[in-house]
Amino acid sequence: MSERKVSGSLSRSARGATPRLQDLGTTPESPRTPPFLRSTSSYFGSPGAGSRGEEEYIVIEAGARFLRGGFPGESTPRCTLSFGPDDQRRAGDYRPWDPEYNQRRRKRKRGEEWGEDHELYRTDLSQVDMGLVEDKFERAMREAYNKYFLLDHKLDQKARRVMLALPPRMPQPLISMMLDVLFGNFQAPSITLMSSPVLSTVAAGLRSALIVDIGWAETTVTSVCEYREVLERRTIRAGKLLSEEMAKLLNAEIDDENESDAPKSDVSFEEADEVLTRVGWCKPRPKNRNTMYFPARTSPILEEFVDAVEAPEPSITIPFPRATPPTEVAVAFTKLSKPAERALFATHLALNELDEHELPVPHVIYRALLALPMDVRRICMSRIVITGGASKLPGLKSRILAELDAMVQQRGWDPVRSYGSAQGHHDAVLRQRRENIELRREEGEDKISESFNPDGTPAPVPAGLQDPEIDAIDKKLKHVSLRDGPPPTCYVGGEIRGVETLGPWVGASLATQLRIKGVVEIDRERFLKDGLSGATREKEVSVTQRQSMGPGLIGAKGASERASWTLGVWA
Amino acid sequence: MAQPFPYTYYSCDCYDSKVTSIPANRSSQQPQPDQDEDERNFDPRNPRSNFSLYPIEQLLYCEDCQQIRCPRCVSEETQNWYCPSCLFEVPSSVIKSDGHRCSRNCYNCPVCMSAMTVSSLENPAEPSPTGGPYILACPYCHWSTVETGIEFEKHTGITAQLSRVANGGKHLPTQKERERERDRRKELENRRSRDLLSGSEDSPGLNRDDDGPLTHEDLYSNLMAFYKAQLAAQSSSSMYSPHDLSFASPSSYSRLLLSYSTSSKKQKRDKPSQMREAASPLEGLVLHDPTTDTAAIDRIRREGWSSTLSPAQKLSQTNHPTIRFTDELRPMASILCTKRGKRCRSCRQYLSKPESKITSTRYKIKLLALNHIPRLSLRALSSVSTPTARPSSISSMPSSQNPEFDYNNLRPGIPTHFLLHLSNPLFDKIRVTLATPSVTPGRIQSRVTILCPQFEVGANTDVWDDALTGPGGGVSAASGGAGAGGGKYGGGASEGHQIEAGKIWDRGRNWTTVVLEVVPGFAKPLAGADKEEVGELDEDEDVLEIPIFVRLEFEADVGVEERGLGDSRGSRGGGGGAGGAGGGAGSGETREKREEAFWTVVGAGRIADV
Repeated sequence: MSERKVSGSLSRSARGATPRLQDLGTTPESPRTPPFLRSTSSYFGSPGAGSRGEEEYIVIEAGARFLRGGFPGESTPRCTLSFGPDDQRRAGDYRPWDPEYNQRRRKRKRGEEWGEDHELYRTDLSQVDMGLVEDKFERAMREAYNKYFLLDHKLDQKARRVMLALPPRMPQPLISMMLDVLFGNFQAPSITLMSSPVLSTVAAGLRSALIVDIGWAETTVTSVCEYREVLERRTIRAGKLLSEEMAKLLNAEIDDENESDAPKSDVSFEEADEVLTRVGWCKPRPKNRNTMYFPARTSPILEEFVDAVEAPEPSITIPFPRATPPTEVAVAFTKLSKPAERALFATHLALNELDEHELPVPHVIYRALLALPMDVRRICMSRIVITGGASKLPGLKSRILAELDAMVQQRGWDPVRSYGSAQGHHDAVLRQRRENIELRREEGEDKISESFNPDGTPAPVPAGLQDPEIDAIDKKLKHVSLRDGPPPTCYVGGEIRGVETLGPWVGASLATQLRIKGVVEIDRERFLKDGLSGATREKEVSVTQRQSMGPGLIGAKGASERASWTLGVWA
Repeated sequence: MAQPFPYTYYSCDCYDSKVTSIPANRSSQQPQPDQDEDERNFDPRNPRSNFSLYPIEQLLYCEDCQQIRCPRCVSEETQNWYCPSCLFEVPSSVIKSDGHRCSRNCYNCPVCMSAMTVSSLENPAEPSPTGGPYILACPYCHWSTVETGIEFEKHTGITAQLSRVANGGKHLPTQKERERERDRRKELENRRSRDLLSGSEDSPGLNRDDDGPLTHEDLYSNLMAFYKAQLAAQSSSSMYSPHDLSFASPSSYSRLLLSYSTSSKKQKRDKPSQMREAASPLEGLVLHDPTTDTAAIDRIRREGWSSTLSPAQKLSQTNHPTIRFTDELRPMASILCTKRGKRCRSCRQYLSKPESKITSTRYKIKLLALNHIPRLSLRALSSVSTPTARPSSISSMPSSQNPEFDYNNLRPGIPTHFLLHLSNPLFDKIRVTLATPSVTPGRIQSRVTILCPQFEVGANTDVWDDALTGPGGGVSAASGGAGAGGGKYGGGASEGHQIEAGKIWDRGRNWTTVVLEVVPGFAKPLAGADKEEVGELDEDEDVLEIPIFVRLEFEADVGVEERGLGDSRGSRGGGGGAGGAGGGAGSGETREKREEAFWTVVGAGRIADV
């Protein structure tokens, strides 16, 4: 029963429009108990019965370059399928197994963008051949079902339900195509859509978080508050740019090595990607473009590490067996961190040269936080979860967090970037405030009242040079709440803190295993009848409506139709 | 191309006409392809064609629907599971718990994916009673578990032993032990936090005492336990049973209301039943730790390229998604294979069903397209004039037998003649109409002419019928290179047949050959053409692939298939205009006129660069 409640909060999601916390929790209608629901569920079997045969799920996460599939309750997906050109060959074309084939470098097709042949989809649908995406998706799903899922048709007579984790801004034609394939070719009786930032939050053990998903085509920063997306910001500084920069670096290195008259080297996507995932890294300490940086809070480990780097200049020997002739190039180790620097942090460009859609990642995070209401910001800023394929680059998470921390310390939460002639005054105010904070942190270290102030809003400065009065009763209450209530870490807020997540797929696996229902649950018959247009336009489903889609109906299937279904965030 | 030239691919039309009709969102697009059906040419260069073209050997044929069925338009049902390396049949009850992997001794090398063997490391000087220690070693790349510090005591039950050993030889706790350990630590933590209520304790530091960072698996089980505990704590507070799944019970309502009405934190704290977030690693919360990052960077710097894993190796380590270095590799148990029955997706008829015995390769049901669709094959005409015997099926003749004709080196601008050979597997005479775009699609435009696009192919009757009734020539062709026949053709080919429009080249019992004239195009535009230089050719763009549309007409016995009439009702337009089946069914009482149409793609060779 309790799962239901979680489901409610898990899946309801408001996008962007109302970023105030109090708005998130309200529901327009007061719920009524529909008179027949309870009786039907008890007529048609015990409550537990429905969950055995009907509730078998498959969990799928569809990313731009990888498709993960597996079963709920497992810690890792059964398969992670990629969409390389070798996966798109004709049947009976066995050339990837030709030993000679692997010696040759693949050329990029004319007019093809970097890494395009490794994508499943892109969100700019104007350049996408939907049929081709469908073909790719279908083939990958077929491989997953036939090679990795190996379902027993005798055991579970019906095909399995599908839990599909998708990014919240997935274009509807793509969703429709995926549903088409899953309903049509794989006979799924129903499909539940869940948004991947929420699932990342679940997999981090949090209820609210700032999910930074450094994906393939773009980095999305989503603020999730109480399992609802509140705000989203995005930038194109992500994996694609990163691997392109890596290719540039490698090309330059190879050309340096070769004689000047040798043809320009053109590293293929596969090679650049391999170098990036194997030996690419990112400097964990920022070199901020605004050279002001506060060394007070950098950890001693970082310092030590940077010193060690500067002593010798080590280099990594990278083999290129596919080049003609096969070659090896020694690249200075520090250089291998350059692509991340350029692609994700744009250190070679001034901030004012950048457009809104290509801001460096820490800046996007900062702006997203800035746009949040203060109480949500307080929660989110200490729950920054960096996920996505490119985030595996060692050092990247530390770097982003450090840079963000520096930015927050330097600028505070002031949306005004420049005060013009009043700058001097503003700086003075700011400096004083910072000193105050430092001071208070130092002396407040051993005071409980500071570390888990439930309201958490940092006290406004003007009144705040003196410490707040400590009420004895308050103190007592806090002790009581500490003993009975959740541990203090649950209330941490107001400081930059990174939290690790196991990723959206694991979140989906957890949610499914805990039998959490999603709001966006699409029935096969309904979809085949109306397609996506059958969904109600409302993004929010009221409690009573959701009820009609809930498990109370499992027993009474067919007898009463679901009132409606919605596309939730994807509407 | 991986297939040697010349080759033939057949297109399954589930490509554009969906088997399961999904109307709503496709209704807008549906009429359009139907309208210009006739003008629409199949483009083998289209990346989509890769997904609809199959060699005829891989296609099935549904006799009820009278349609080709490709792997895309069949639904598959698993019959049994077996390990491909030990051929041991795995009962369906255990496959899921084993992770669809062999639970015996079958392991694949994590470096090169080949099968590993169990070998003994016994020291001959001091033999051990068990003959051990044993290791898993890869016979191909010589990787062995010694490199990750794993040795086994026995040579059997590797899976059980491996699950107890972590890399480096340390003991790996089982699931139960881990849960017990978690409970113990949690208790410890609770006690400690109660002792020092100051609250400023550093909980992550508290728990990471002995064995380093938690593994992915540990974190997952911690998270799961945490969520379960949270959910249980809530349901136990209700007066109804925790198994009450009904959504409508009052207790759940009150909780639901609670979750939606609480907007301020104060209220939340007043209700202890409110779900909270995880607070410690034991509950699945892991704070970002820069030291792991720096440690990884440091290691890459010290050990370089060779200590890291390639993307393919990482992907194959499904149990360890965060793996990065070679010493973290684990041998992977070989993944199970299945024997699957295939059904037609629209009529649920079995199209193929293997025998359930693992070691048997025979089939109970096997409806191959090979037995229902004429086989098209191509070969160069110049190779025919050699005095070698000519088998009836050209595809069985590798191109290497004709040293004169190099399929990989077609000369652009010079007309080349090919023989297109159609052999009929049906027991009825068929009338064939071929069509091809006069210029092949793609960058290199080659002109293609079928000299005789309409002809008949004889029925696949008994070989001896033909021998007794027809002229003697056909026999030898059918029997595939009998000495006399071969000699006859070898001598007669050059003078007996003429390359002439409207005439077939040759004909046999159930086959007919026509001539195809191809003028391969130029890879680079000729001088004077005002096309700008577009750069180099893409992969396989220089391959001459000819799309050919094949349309068959024949009269079949209705008695053989009583569902013939049903076909007209259930037909879905039969892609490519094969809709005439219904009309034909009414005309004859015992014979029924049928049509069949499909696209094929013939790969003729690679055009040479000039």
